[in-house]
Amino acid sequence: MSLLRYAVTRALAIVPTVLILYTVVFIVLRVIPGDPVTAALGTRSIPPEELEAIRERLGLDQPLWRQYIDYLLGVMRGDFGESMTLYGRPVARDIMERFPATLELTIFGFIVSVVLGVGSGVVAAFRGGLVDRLLRTSSIVAYTLFIPWLGLMLKYVFSIKLGILPTGGRIDPRVNLDVVTGLYVLDSIITANPAALVSAVEHLILPSLTLGIVLSGVYTRLVRIHVAEALRSEVAVAYRARGLRESRIAVHMLRISLIPTITMMGLQFAILLGGAVLTEATFSWPGLGSLLVERISYRDYSTIQGVTVFFAFMVGLVSLIVDIIYAIVNPRVRY
Amino acid sequence: MALANTRVILAAIIVILVIAAGFYILFSRQQAANVIVIGTTDDVTELDPATSYDFFTWEVLSNVMAGLVTYDQQGNIVPYLAERWESQEGGKVWIFYLRQDAKFPDGTPCDADVVVRSIKRVMTIQGDPSWLVTEFVENVEALDQWTVKFTLKQPTGYFLAVVATPPYYPVHPNYPEDQPAPDATWGGCGPYMIDEFVRDQYLRLKPNPNFFGEEPKNDGVIIRFYEGSEDLRSALEAGEIDVAWRTLNPSDLEDLRSKGYNIKEVPGLFIRYLVLRVSQPPLDNVAVRQALAAAIDRQDIVDRVFRGTMEPLYSMVPSGMWGHYPAFKEKYGEGPNIDLARQLLSQAGYSESNKLQVELWYTPEHYGDTEAALAAVIKEQWEATGMISVEIKSSEWGTYVDQLSSGQMMISLLGWYPDYLDPDNFLTPFLLSTANSWTGTGYANPQVDDLLRKAMTSSDMNERAQLYKQVQEILAEEAPFIPLVQGKLFVVTSTEVTSIEVSPLQFLIYSSISK
Repeated sequence: MSLLRYAVTRALAIVPTVLILYTVVFIVLRVIPGDPVTAALGTRSIPPEELEAIRERLGLDQPLWRQYIDYLLGVMRGDFGESMTLYGRPVARDIMERFPATLELTIFGFIVSVVLGVGSGVVAAFRGGLVDRLLRTSSIVAYTLFIPWLGLMLKYVFSIKLGILPTGGRIDPRVNLDVVTGLYVLDSIITANPAALVSAVEHLILPSLTLGIVLSGVYTRLVRIHVAEALRSEVAVAYRARGLRESRIAVHMLRISLIPTITMMGLQFAILLGGAVLTEATFSWPGLGSLLVERISYRDYSTIQGVTVFFAFMVGLVSLIVDIIYAIVNPRVRY
Repeated sequence: MALANTRVILAAIIVILVIAAGFYILFSRQQAANVIVIGTTDDVTELDPATSYDFFTWEVLSNVMAGLVTYDQQGNIVPYLAERWESQEGGKVWIFYLRQDAKFPDGTPCDADVVVRSIKRVMTIQGDPSWLVTEFVENVEALDQWTVKFTLKQPTGYFLAVVATPPYYPVHPNYPEDQPAPDATWGGCGPYMIDEFVRDQYLRLKPNPNFFGEEPKNDGVIIRFYEGSEDLRSALEAGEIDVAWRTLNPSDLEDLRSKGYNIKEVPGLFIRYLVLRVSQPPLDNVAVRQALAAAIDRQDIVDRVFRGTMEPLYSMVPSGMWGHYPAFKEKYGEGPNIDLARQLLSQAGYSESNKLQVELWYTPEHYGDTEAALAAVIKEQWEATGMISVEIKSSEWGTYVDQLSSGQMMISLLGWYPDYLDPDNFLTPFLLSTANSWTGTGYANPQVDDLLRKAMTSSDMNERAQLYKQVQEILAEEAPFIPLVQGKLFVVTSTEVTSIEVSPLQFLIYSSISK
């Protein structure tokens, strides 16, 4: 099987995954008590006939199978419907506005976690002894940290006590930024806006550190084990016998050890998104995660379904990319 | 050598960029010195009065738009966009004469056609708050460029209070006639114009250059949205916001006061109460409901649960509003009346060995972190009679309101914020049998229905006050709802902020804030 065929087959596998998830979310939303109208209106007193008119407008008077099919057909056309709590607002617009925030946080959180995790893993494997034990312990501690707690601690120190970093949000509202991609760091570079760049980076530091620290623990342990194993392997012995310098051997061994780490990076993406949800809530970060949490309590069916389908698709896409990279990096993979 | 030169040039570029960025930030922040930053845990839902139906969005709209009438600080309805008005046919027809200098920020005049179009737009779009127009208004028309005539479905004594609500605010002609515009920034002809709205991040307002009233005391307002009260407090302490508004935890207020922050306390219209499902046993027995009402200790709730941030409430109509009558205090006394509660329970056939079993429901997040504690304190107070056993249950908001309207909860904790400023809005939605199905109480009393309908159509304030007093007496007697506490509002500001005003509708008046 060629790489292209492998990629296409893997890509097609995303479809049933998304479909299953959509079906589960659709059923769960309808099974649990409450609906978007009562949840949004809450205790507002509204005449019953008005209430019926709202239900009709939202399509909630339609049979369930019809609602299921209509939404699915819409998604296939790229139409995620309209929000059920924000009258007239397309869900796709919410997704397009919020996703860059989640993506930016995820990218920076990912970079922090990889740099911290791989760096500490390599150091632990090479140094051994006390350093190794310390790094191993700290990686376990990092992994068990609760994101909101760590976020609060960082905010307390760097925002409230030291006053050097903002407590939340994506950018200082006093700074004007022309949004191009929605990734504020990139946009401020594209538009040559240094004030916006400084503000966007300032706002990213604490959330991405929080997310990165918690997720770095996995990489530390993984890289440490594989680098240590590689250093003891016959290949390393052969390199030494040929008189290669230890630093050169380390580079070769690191490359070999990165293969399982890349796999883990792919697997971590879903966890990273999960972590981003908590981080977003902790730092008032307006991403997809906080949108999902907010709309769940209002039973905004179309937004919840839309975001879930989008998340599922993104996770599938990243897994596909990782599989392809893995296949390229590791020639032993047969497809 | 060439490499060394490149490094020097690169270093020089970086240094210049950093200095430039520093100057830029410094300069831009200095420019913004007279801009007030308000932090909130609320959201702006739809910047469209045809569809928005939540407190905070209404607050923003009230600062960006101007209604025909408004309230003065004493709570009296006063002219705003309308210079004067008159009612005809016993309150069935209302004619408003508009001021001729009102304009939108782009200079478009805010005349009768704009007013009529805006109100018809609300009726056409049929958004959540549209009932505030459609329930009352049969027709609206422009008599000339500056005169608007409303013909109502029936005479309504409190129509001016209804007209003061956002669905009646005229909007810029750019708002589509038959479609909602949730992210619209064209605004109205109020003190501010919308400069930028980034949903869930911030809203930036600038003074409307064509505003007909007094110029704002600041150069603009930025509203920043935070996820929770912890974030809001952190932002205040980090100096990111000048004003923390809705909502900090009660426990934070004392702490912030001790740290030197200014706290302005405002009597609130927000009420908390219990809903009793009267159509099912054991609460179909009025003696049981009276016993539950008698055993409540409101001051204890205020002290232990809300740490003084609320005050006891003895009617569904909040204290401070005309027509308020503390009927529950008159009937059951100020504190817990355990003896009376025991007597009533005995009368209903209960004893210490045969306890009244009740379920008390609450929802954990919607009303803040104190809700579980509130339920626990009420349980304690009722069980202090020795003749009641309380089982506490909870469900999250989406489920809770569904259970409420379908009558699945025996006793539930709720809160109410008025749509318009009139006792009618604190009594009719609860006690009028054709309007209270959303509460799930099942309460219906033809005498109360008559009294409420009479009060609704009367334009004699004294007569209305008397009618509402009778309704409140019946409410205390039959206790389908038990009022608990009335909220106070707190605006926490940094020491730089010098003035804060809150309207009788509890909206922060942005134009009055200065620093």
